[in-house]
Amino acid sequence: MLEISGLRARYGEHEVLRGIDLMLEKGDSLAVVGESGAGKTTLGLSIMRLAGARLEGNMVFDGMNLLELSDEEMRRLRGDRMAMVFQNVEDALDPVYTAEEQVCEAIAAHNKWSRERIRERARALLTAVGLDEMRYQLYPHQMSGGERQRVLIAMALANDPDLLILDEPTASLDALTKADIVELLRSATSDRISIIITHDISLASALSKRMAVLYSGMIMEMGRTADLIREPKHPYTRGLLRSFPSMNTTKDLQGIPGRTIPRIGGCPFHPRCTQRIEICAREVPRPEELNGRLIACHRGGIVPLLEIRDVCKFFSSFPAVSHVSLTLYEGETLALVGESGSGKTTLAKIIMGLIEPDSGEILLEGERARWDAGFYRRVQMIFQNPKESISHRLNVLQAVREPLDVQRIGSEEERVARAMKALESAELSTDPEFLRKYPHQLSGGEAQRVAIARALVMHPKLLIADEPTSALDPSVQAKILRLLMDLQERMGLSILFITHDIALARKVSDRIAVMLRGSIVEEGPSGEVLREPAHQYTASLVECASICTRMAWETHVLD
Amino acid sequence: MAIHMPILIRRCDAVIKMDLIWLSNYAISFLLILILNFVLPRMMPGDPLHAIYGEEALISMTPEMEAEIIKRFALDQPWHAQLITYITALLSGDLGYSYYYRTGVTDVILGFLPWTLLLTGLAFVISSSAGVILGIESGYRRGSKLDGCMLSGMMFLGGMPDFFIGIVLLLLFGVTLGWAPLGGAVSPYAGHEGIDLVLDIAHHLVLPLISLVLVQIAPTYLLTRNAMLNTLRARFIMTAKATGLGEGAIRYRHAGRNSLLPVVTAMGMRVPNMITGTLFLEIVFSYPGVGTLLNTALSARDYPLIQGVLLIVTVTVLTTNFLVDMTYVRLDPRVRYAR
Ligand code: SF4
Repeated sequence: MLEISGLRARYGEHEVLRGIDLMLEKGDSLAVVGESGAGKTTLGLSIMRLAGARLEGNMVFDGMNLLELSDEEMRRLRGDRMAMVFQNVEDALDPVYTAEEQVCEAIAAHNKWSRERIRERARALLTAVGLDEMRYQLYPHQMSGGERQRVLIAMALANDPDLLILDEPTASLDALTKADIVELLRSATSDRISIIITHDISLASALSKRMAVLYSGMIMEMGRTADLIREPKHPYTRGLLRSFPSMNTTKDLQGIPGRTIPRIGGCPFHPRCTQRIEICAREVPRPEELNGRLIACHRGGIVPLLEIRDVCKFFSSFPAVSHVSLTLYEGETLALVGESGSGKTTLAKIIMGLIEPDSGEILLEGERARWDAGFYRRVQMIFQNPKESISHRLNVLQAVREPLDVQRIGSEEERVARAMKALESAELSTDPEFLRKYPHQLSGGEAQRVAIARALVMHPKLLIADEPTSALDPSVQAKILRLLMDLQERMGLSILFITHDIALARKVSDRIAVMLRGSIVEEGPSGEVLREPAHQYTASLVECASICTRMAWETHVLD
Repeated sequence: MAIHMPILIRRCDAVIKMDLIWLSNYAISFLLILILNFVLPRMMPGDPLHAIYGEEALISMTPEMEAEIIKRFALDQPWHAQLITYITALLSGDLGYSYYYRTGVTDVILGFLPWTLLLTGLAFVISSSAGVILGIESGYRRGSKLDGCMLSGMMFLGGMPDFFIGIVLLLLFGVTLGWAPLGGAVSPYAGHEGIDLVLDIAHHLVLPLISLVLVQIAPTYLLTRNAMLNTLRARFIMTAKATGLGEGAIRYRHAGRNSLLPVVTAMGMRVPNMITGTLFLEIVFSYPGVGTLLNTALSARDYPLIQGVLLIVTVTVLTTNFLVDMTYVRLDPRVRYAR
């Protein structure tokens, strides 16, 4: 019913929409999400031909090409066959007319009915959107935000449109009113084509079956809403989801590095993308469809960084690791949770090439790991005890630059400069006095930071962190974890986070894999694994963690 | 229902209270003017008779007249008695005695007032409605050629002093072309009646009216245009467009209607300005209105007449302001319910 192809919108020189393709049938609901400035609202207004921008491309609605209609023909469609619900800002309704008058006007614009009949319909609509009868004669300034939103919805529904566009329909409403409005919209959007424009992921998931992620006027990813939220495949979608607080994710909020830079060539996201390659700055990625998901990315979305394929390791016929397959994607944290002896450290050592597996293979960036210099440049590890990675005979500066010395990377000055930068990234001091300290002069937190700096000096893609904080005080632990998440946000570092503590894993990871007696028994998005553990063992881990928390809490309160 | 009632009642209380404050503002201004009129001459050095009437008037007065005046204004009584006499006189419409016209000030003013009311009233209605309509159209077409022409034309008009336009028109159409009479409100001794009289009045009125309209239209136009530009940016305009309303409805029912609000407020404030403009123009066109009267009274130093005219002018200003306020309240529900 609505088919948009190659839609471009330009304000002067500035192109706000750069080729949008959409196909929507009756009953379809599509959420358009993205940061402000992505062009979401322009898209909505362009479909109504109200954007005031120069439009190019095709928009076929019910057999009519909207871009070829005259202004008058377009006016007759607006508010009748297609309608838009605006955000309930202070002046979205005309301040000098009552709620009822405004709804009446919306009806009268497209019907030559008697006053009585129009009034009757208006009142029926206002009742349907749940406005109290006492409030029909009120002026906008006398109504609450929720009531104004209801009136706006009633106006949009006035002539039973086939296409309904909602532009941030619940912004600036309190949580309870929002829930009511969402309920109302859910029934209002069924049986029509609806487009929900929002930056609110929870609203998108409540109202839409499909979701399109817009960035700088381009659709970066599109697919079923639930799939997109559960498993984002485009780096931008993941960044957007990570920065949105939701009840379904447990990881702490992270941002996206940098901000939108308008008017750049190539992939619009490339200055902020942590997995960009050389072509990204040159060419605009074409959207490609794969398994019902549309992705515009030269690398086909978030790339797998480390693939573990069916790895087995026996220690004298005892299976330490058995048939483990895991994939770690660029820029994500996978928590490997299990008790001691579950084989997680063995697995880490296999990845690092310290133990040779009996069968199976390890792939790094799609290639079989050869554990040569190139491998260790990309994969680094930190341990529970920082002393395992820092020799007690080296001072801070020497310890951090040692990997560069070993691999003979750069000149003397470059090595020092990189070491200093790594120390800064790990939020350590770079003054000469500190640089001359030896491990035994450092606190536990400082030593772990030095270990991190030492790992970072190689600009690795993957960091394997084996219980990196379990030897530290809780407050120091929190700071180290925050540091790792910030590094991930800034540099797109992938982290394999090995821990026995599922409560900790929950806060730092995108996905959790649970290991028991050498096998992975469960794997999935962290929020999901914690909310509905599928395996008995995971369930007991989650339960223990919450009992511990509760007990700690109670002793605290009773004290 | 039960929940809403107390809120409504409280709101009504608030409305009444605000209305009282608002009305009392007018009452206070009016009283102040009266008191000034009463107190000022009596505070001047020398005897109040001199202060009220001036030396020249007294010279031409007979002692009997003087005694009559003293008695009439109770000038030999203590001040509270004088105040009572002053107020009762006012209430019975007695504004004093014009020694120049040798009759009651009220009668004199009543002879001149209708012409001024006709001129200002018409000019006010025409300039306001034309200014608003042109402002709406011009603002709606912002950036178009029409808008540009109108805007610069209005700026040009607005920059000219009131009487200057009057003089130019008078010279051009009255003196050079001879299309309009050079002065007066009716042709003297012509004995017109009925429709002829109306036409004659219109003929005399046309030049001063046009001058006044031209002077007054610019500010209304500029303000309306400006308000339009702001209103068109409001979100409800987008709502109206998305509803599929026609251009006319958007321009007038929504944008225009809302742009009217600041314009109406400003109209009230422009009334004094308009009246001074009228006074000057009346003199230019020797139109027999209050302006001409004031001019005469000033040059004759007929103090009671001057005071009477000023009082009438002030009362007119207050009344129009009151009416404007009332209109504003009708126009803007936010104010209506906030009071
Ligand atoms: S990998 Fe390249 S094309 Fe894909 S999102 Fe990053 S910058 Fe864009």
